[in-house]
Amino acid sequence: MEWLRFVRRKSWDEERARELESYLDHEIADNLARGMTAPEARAAAQRKLGNETLIREEIYRMNSLGFIESIWKDVAYALRGLRKGPGFTVVALLSLALGIGATTAIFSVIYGVLISPYPYARPGQIWAPVILDPQNPGRPFSFHQIRDYLELKKLPPFSETMATMPENRLLTGDRAPENFTSVSVTANAFQFLGVAPILGRSIQPSDLGPDGQPEPVIVLSFGAWKRLFDSSPEALGKRLVLNDQPYTVIGVMPPRFGWWTNDGGWLVLPEDPRDTRSVAAIMRLKPGVSPQAAEQQLQALHLRLAQEHPQDFPKGRFTTKLNNYLEITAASGAMQSSLVMLLGAVGFLLLIACANVANLQLARATSRAHEISVRMAVGAGRGRLLRQLLTESVVLSAVGGVLGVLLALAITKVVVVMMPDNYVPNEAVIGVNSYVLLFSAAVSVLTGILFGLAPAIKSSRPDLVDALKDAGRTAGAGSGGRTRNALVVAEIALSVVLLMGASLTVRGFLQLQQVAPGFQADRVLMMGVQLSPKRYVTYRQRVGFSEDVVAALSSIPGVQAVAIGNGGLPYAGQRSTYSIEGQPIDQSRQFALCLISSGYAQTLGIPLRAGRDLSAQEVARVDPLALINEAAARLWPVGTNPIGTRVHVDMLEKLPPSVPVPAASTPDMTIVGVIADTHNDGLRNPPAPALYLPYTVIATTGRTLAIRSAMQPTLLLNAVRERIRGIDKDQPLGRPITLEEVLGSETVQPRFNMALFSFFGFLGLALAAIGIYSMLSYTVARRTHEIGIRMALGARRGDVLRLMLSMAGRLVFLGLALGIGASLALAKFLRSEVFQVPGTDPIALAGVVVLLTLAACLACFVPGRRATKLDPMSALRHE
Amino acid sequence: MPPNDDHPLQREMLQGTLDLLILQSLVPGPAHGHTIAHVIEHRSEDVLQVEHGSLYPAVHRLETRGWIASFWGTSENNRKARYYRLTAMGRSQLEAQTNNWDRLVRAVNRVLRPAE
Repeated sequence: MEWLRFVRRKSWDEERARELESYLDHEIADNLARGMTAPEARAAAQRKLGNETLIREEIYRMNSLGFIESIWKDVAYALRGLRKGPGFTVVALLSLALGIGATTAIFSVIYGVLISPYPYARPGQIWAPVILDPQNPGRPFSFHQIRDYLELKKLPPFSETMATMPENRLLTGDRAPENFTSVSVTANAFQFLGVAPILGRSIQPSDLGPDGQPEPVIVLSFGAWKRLFDSSPEALGKRLVLNDQPYTVIGVMPPRFGWWTNDGGWLVLPEDPRDTRSVAAIMRLKPGVSPQAAEQQLQALHLRLAQEHPQDFPKGRFTTKLNNYLEITAASGAMQSSLVMLLGAVGFLLLIACANVANLQLARATSRAHEISVRMAVGAGRGRLLRQLLTESVVLSAVGGVLGVLLALAITKVVVVMMPDNYVPNEAVIGVNSYVLLFSAAVSVLTGILFGLAPAIKSSRPDLVDALKDAGRTAGAGSGGRTRNALVVAEIALSVVLLMGASLTVRGFLQLQQVAPGFQADRVLMMGVQLSPKRYVTYRQRVGFSEDVVAALSSIPGVQAVAIGNGGLPYAGQRSTYSIEGQPIDQSRQFALCLISSGYAQTLGIPLRAGRDLSAQEVARVDPLALINEAAARLWPVGTNPIGTRVHVDMLEKLPPSVPVPAASTPDMTIVGVIADTHNDGLRNPPAPALYLPYTVIATTGRTLAIRSAMQPTLLLNAVRERIRGIDKDQPLGRPITLEEVLGSETVQPRFNMALFSFFGFLGLALAAIGIYSMLSYTVARRTHEIGIRMALGARRGDVLRLMLSMAGRLVFLGLALGIGASLALAKFLRSEVFQVPGTDPIALAGVVVLLTLAACLACFVPGRRATKLDPMSALRHE
Repeated sequence: MPPNDDHPLQREMLQGTLDLLILQSLVPGPAHGHTIAHVIEHRSEDVLQVEHGSLYPAVHRLETRGWIASFWGTSENNRKARYYRLTAMGRSQLEAQTNNWDRLVRAVNRVLRPAE
C-alpha cells in the first residue's frame, strides 16, 4: 500500500535520524582510528555527511502525498480569502443557503409523502392482487371472500399473506356512543407489517384459536389511546364494548402506524370459511419469484374459484394483476403533481443561486487576475491554480450547504404545517432525514464544482503579459464581462419562469375564491347519521327514523330549515343514465342523482327557477316526482318545457337487492320543478346536470343532514345531539361540519400551491435582484477610471447614470424576453392541476413584468447613484 | 506514487548509477550505510566519492521499491547499525541494470573511439 508510507512517515523519520546518528558514530570511530582528535573527528564526520536535516527532509518528502498536503493548504487559503471579502462571502452564502435550503426542504417533503410514506417493513415488496373486468374497467375487484383468501394463502409463490377487513362498530359502555373504526386483520398481520407496539403487545398468531375463532382482544391506535384513555398505560387490560361484545386492550401502536385507520383499533379476523364477508389481501413473494409468475398462479386459482361460486367473480372473462402496494397507495393526483412541480420550481431556484454565485466568483476572479498571473509567473502550475480556485468554490458551497440544511429544517416545518392532511397517507412523517441530508450534501458539492469550474478555467488562462501590465485598469466590459452578462440574463430569465408559475397559482386561487357556489354556504351545519343495519332492518324502521329526526330538529329554536340529502350535499352523488319521455335514448349522457327531502332547496338557499318544490307528503308517499337543475333542463330540446314530462332513471331499476325499497316503486319520474345550478361537481368544474329524487326511493343506512340556522350553526350542536338521543339513545353521530368548511377544503390545495410557489418565486426574484446589483456595482467599481475620464471630458452625471442604466436595462430586457418565451414554451408541456389558469394568462404575465422591472430598478439604483457621485479627480487617481 | 520520476535524463543516469553501485555492494552480504559508502569508494579506488547526502535518500528509495530490505544489527565495532540486504527482486534488478550499464558503456565507447 503506497499511501501507508504517508501514515508511517513520522516513525520513518525517527528511524532515519537514528540511522544517520549511527553513521556519524562509525565515521567518528574511523576518524579517531586515523589519529584525529575527538572534536576534529566529529567535525570531519559531519562535514562528510553534509546537512543532516536536509537529508531527512528529502526522505520525508519522498514519503508524503503531495495531494493531501496541498488540499489542507488550499482550504486554509480559501477560508482566509473568504474572510477577507465579507460582502462577497455573505451574498454568496445567502444565495447558496436559499437555493440548497429550498431544494432540501421540498425534497424532504417529497421523500416523506411520495418515496417512503410507510413505516412498514420492506413496503416496496408488498403486493396487492386485483381482478380486472374488461366489461367494467373502472371498477376493479380488490376484495376476496374469506374462504377464497384461505385458498389463496396456500399458493406456493407467496412467502407471507395477510388480510384486512375494515368495519365500523358501535362503541358503547360507560361513555358517549360513537362510531369506532375497528379493522380486523389476520393474526399474522403485525409480523407481516413489522412494526412493534409502544405499549403491551400486538396481535400474535396464537390469538387465533385452532378452530379459526379469534380471541376478543384489541390493539389500539395511538390516536384512540390518547382519545379514550388519555395516553395512560393503565389502558392495558381495560375492556371496550364494540357492537355489544367486550374486547380486552392488549397493546398500543406508535403514532405512525395507521393501517387502514389512525384513530381506531385492530381486532383479530376470524378465519372461518363459512364467514361471507370479504377481505383485502396483500402478500410478499418468495425470493426469486417474479410478480408475473405469481399473477399467473393467482389467475388460475381465481378461474377455479369462479367456477365453484360464480357470484363472487365478474361474469365473463377477467384477468388478475398484482400491484405494488407502494405504487397504488402513495399520494397521487393533485398532491403528487404539485409536489413534483414544486421540486421543479426549487430546482430553478437552485440554478439561480448557482448563477449568482458563479457571477460573484467570476467578478472576483477577474479582479484577482493580477494576483493569479503573478503566481503563474513565479511558477505555479495551471492545474495547481485550478485546483486551488476549485477548492475555494467547494469550501464556499460546503458552508452554504450547512446553512442550507438549517434553512431546510425551518422551511420543511412551515410546509408541513400548511400541507392539507387528506392528500397525504396516514402514516407519512415528514422531516429532514438522513437521506435528505445526503441529497443536500450532494447538491451542495455538485453546485460547488459547477460554479467553481467555469470561473476557475477562465481565470487560470489569463494572458500573462497583459494581466501583469494591469490591463484591467482601463478595460471596459471584456470577455469576462460577456460571461457575467450571460449569467445575469440567465438568472433573470429563470426568475421570470418562477414568477410566472407563482403568478399563475395566485390567479387560479383568486379565481376559485370568486366562484359563486350557487348556494348560500353560511350558517349551514351538516352531519352524517349511520344507522346500525342490525337494529334498523326494515324499510319502515329506517325511513321512520329519518322522518322523526327531521321533525325533531325542525322544532329546535333557531333552526330555519332541515333537509336530508344523499349526494348533493353539496356535491352530487351517483350518476345514472336516463331517457326522456318522447326523446331518442342517448346512453352517453348521465344525470347526477341526489336523494332529497322536502325543503332541500330552501335549506341550502338554492333559488327555484320554475315549477315547485316537493312537498313533505309527496316525499313520504314516494310519489314519482322529481326536480332538476338548470344544467339538466338544458338537456331537453330547445323550446320544450321539462316540467310535466317524465324521465326514466335507469339506476332505479338496478338497486342492490340488499337494501330495502318501498312496496311500490317506479323508475319513471315526473319533473315538477327546476332549481338553480350549483357547483355540484367541485368549484373548478361546471355544474353537472342533476336530478333530485325523494330520498324515500331507497332505505340506505346512511343519511346526511343539513340544518340551516339563524345563528352561528355550531351553537346548535348540543341541541341537535340531544334531540337525536331522544329518538334513539344509542345512535352515534358523525363529525359535524359546516358547509363553509366543506367549501374551504376545496381551496386548501390551491392555497398551498399559491403560498409555496409565491414564496419560491419571490426568493428567485430577490436572488436575481442581488445578481443584477452585484453585477452593476462590480462594473461601476471596474470602470471608475473610465467614468472619471468621461466626466473630465465633460460628461454630466445624467449621462453617466444613463450609461449604467442602459447597460443594466439591456440585460433585464433580454432576460425578461427569454424568461417569458421559456414560460410560454413550458406552459405547452405542463398541463397540470397545479395551474388552474392557462399559461398564457395576460394578467399573470403583466404582473410578472411589473414586479421584475421594479426589482431591477431597485437593484440598479444604489450602484447607479454611486457612479454619478464619483469625483472626477479622485476617480482618475483611482487605482 | 514513485517519487521524483520526472528527473532530466542526465540526473536519472547518475542516480541510476548510484543505485546500481549500492545494489552491487550488497552482493557479498548485508551491510550498513557506512560500509556501503566505504566499499564503493574503496573499490573505485576513491575515484567515486559517494556523496553521503544522497546515499541515504537512494537507500530509502531502493527500500520502498522493494529491491533491498533492512534490519537493525550490531556492527563489527559493537555499535547499533541499520543493515541492508538484497532481495530477490533486487538481485534480478541488479542483473538487468548491469546489462544495461554494459550496453551503455559499449555504446559510449563505440562513439568515443570509432577507429577500434
